[in-house]
Amino acid sequence: MTELLAARLSMAFSLGFHIIFAAIGMTMPFLMSVAHYKYLKTRETQYLELTKMWMKGVAILFAVGAVSGTVLSFELGLLWPNFMKYAGPIIGMPFSWEGTAFFLEAVAIGIFLYGWGKINEWVHWFTGLLVGVSGFASGIFVVAANSWMNTPQGFEIVNGDIIHVDPVTAMFNPAWLHQSAHMQIAALQAVGFAVAGIHAYLYLKGRNVAINLKAFKIAMIFAALSSLAQPLVGHFAAQRVAVLQPAKLAAMEGHYHTSKQAPLYIGGIPNDEKEIMEYGIPIPGALSFLAFNDFDAEVIGLDQFPKEERPPTLITHISFQIMVAIGTLLAGIGALYLFFLYKRDLKDWLLKIIILVSPLGFIAIEAGWITTEVGRQPWIIYEFMKVSEALTPVPGMRYHFFLFFFLYLVLGILTIWLLKRQVDHHA
Amino acid sequence: MLELMIYVLLFFVGASIVLYVVLGGADYGAGILELLPSKGNRAAQKKLINSAMGPVWEANHMWLVIVVVILFMGFPKAFQNIMVSLHLPMVALLLGIVIRGSTFTFRHYDAKQTGKSQKFYSAAFSLSSLWTSIWLGIIAASLFRGKINPSSLDFVEAYIDPWWGFFPFSMGIFTSVIFAYLSAVFLAGEATDIELKKFYVRRASYGNIGVVITGGLVFFSSYIDGQKLFIQFIQHPISIMSLLFASLSFGILWFFIEKRNVWLTRLLASIQVGFILVGWFALNWPNALNTVSGPISFFEAAAPEPTIYQLNLALLIGSLFIFPSLFYLIKVFKSQNSGPN
Repeated sequence: MTELLAARLSMAFSLGFHIIFAAIGMTMPFLMSVAHYKYLKTRETQYLELTKMWMKGVAILFAVGAVSGTVLSFELGLLWPNFMKYAGPIIGMPFSWEGTAFFLEAVAIGIFLYGWGKINEWVHWFTGLLVGVSGFASGIFVVAANSWMNTPQGFEIVNGDIIHVDPVTAMFNPAWLHQSAHMQIAALQAVGFAVAGIHAYLYLKGRNVAINLKAFKIAMIFAALSSLAQPLVGHFAAQRVAVLQPAKLAAMEGHYHTSKQAPLYIGGIPNDEKEIMEYGIPIPGALSFLAFNDFDAEVIGLDQFPKEERPPTLITHISFQIMVAIGTLLAGIGALYLFFLYKRDLKDWLLKIIILVSPLGFIAIEAGWITTEVGRQPWIIYEFMKVSEALTPVPGMRYHFFLFFFLYLVLGILTIWLLKRQVDHHA
Repeated sequence: MLELMIYVLLFFVGASIVLYVVLGGADYGAGILELLPSKGNRAAQKKLINSAMGPVWEANHMWLVIVVVILFMGFPKAFQNIMVSLHLPMVALLLGIVIRGSTFTFRHYDAKQTGKSQKFYSAAFSLSSLWTSIWLGIIAASLFRGKINPSSLDFVEAYIDPWWGFFPFSMGIFTSVIFAYLSAVFLAGEATDIELKKFYVRRASYGNIGVVITGGLVFFSSYIDGQKLFIQFIQHPISIMSLLFASLSFGILWFFIEKRNVWLTRLLASIQVGFILVGWFALNWPNALNTVSGPISFFEAAAPEPTIYQLNLALLIGSLFIFPSLFYLIKVFKSQNSGPN
């Protein structure tokens, strides 16, 4: 394992671990607030029980999210000090706002968790909602910082020095909107389906049927609506990538040769040596149409980039395909659910399907981040700085990787085990 | 204007460090105190710590994140140097932060509140509290020790020497004793049970002595290390004043601990620790760190003006949200002494 690979794996693993907890931390409070609201309105104690049940989950997951997020803020400097030296002043702004939002979230969660019976109940409800709102905002800020790495702007380089730094322009770079929207909706989707799946399982097992059905329905509304919105947002995102980062789009689609009426491949394995797609099903002109709304549009292929500046095609393509496949599946299930909800006839088989797909939203989030991060390679700041140039001079990065890999592995297992104990105990 | 804005940032850095050490430090101290013999009140201690720390520890932890963000956005050159040369202690610190935060929460929210798992969480929580505070002290000492060596190609010289030695470790021990002491003072105020209160008052008194002894150790070790910290401390007007105030308030504090005046002791202990930090800042002003080839000042490490301006804006606007909500948090949980939830 080279130093560079070890550092990249460390970062990937830290981000991949944190994103799960971040996604839950910024969306789960909304589900909780809905249940809490229903309790305050109807005074049905089942909603109160549900609120407290979800609250305990939020408390556990938020803590792991907070500490793993702290690790990331250090790791940016520990692993990529040269990147931070240049990028810190330029993209620090979304980070400083993220810090503010996260601080507010930490205060709000403290009040909410321990505020039962101590403060006005609507103020209390509001603090719960505030956990979600500030968490959601901090998610948008962090993704905005990441989007700058894809479409850097707001600075000039003259003789190796960075001048004319403009943090506002940097934050509102061309990729911030589609990336943030895509991620935040993905979080709602993933959490919605995961929570719905757990409660559907308990419901079908006949445990606390009334509460679990209520929980399932709240979660599924979030899941279904976000899943229907996601294909549209994802499509918008891909069209932006086609313009802003053609190399990434080409790697996502395994598109080697610049061409008009470019085909879209369903499945397929990109072969970098022969520069062709193997085993895929081509749909002629579909890529041109999806990317530019025109079957005859020219789509830039990987051949426009020198070999050492091409992203790894195989990983980018496969993870992209996984994400799209899951997104499509979840959109279908979301629509199906809304249909049966409208007919007031929830079928057991639909619940069973939802149980089966409940972890998929998180897999799609991971696949999506792999797509955008690996698809940016070899750049850490697109077309300005390579990942290899940003690497820390500290040797032995593999130990850094092993340490955090082991730590997070244990922490992940412990968290799942704890949540299972919560479910066994309460639900 | 730029200079003024940098001063504002440095004020926020300083204030955040003081708040982190006083508030976050007391949380670390709670874990450290659990390592000491319990005199049979372990369960009561745990309950008290849960109710005292539970609502606030995440907010208290945020001050550290604020410091990191200000450093990497506002003073990137300093941040880069620190993160490269002090890579190893930083990793050790992070390890502790992760384990402490998660096991504290796990302990409180595990559906099963008895048995082996609770013992495991408690052990991990208190050991990692001690571990993390020691590393915080080591990092603080290493920043100004002058052994940071960014240009060295030798592994030991570049990545071990900056933080290895008697002096940094003394600072680590000093830090953990300060944290334990702060925690005892805070928990003494928090406890409603009279026996438990007495228990923490006693801990606070011992802590008080411990701070003086380990503080002496820091001066001694710095002398061995060739730092002449003590000489510098008494030569600088602000640091000597801070040292005097800190020492003086020990006496006053001793008196009030015995009287059990909750808020006054808390305030005094915080001011005392604040003064130790102010003296420390004054001594090293205006430097962010000392390297083998001389200090790097905050002013030369500062980011370009537009960035400094945006960071000022974010901090000032952010304060409008954070401070009122923080006061509300403290008002709800700390004024009524309402005991465990």
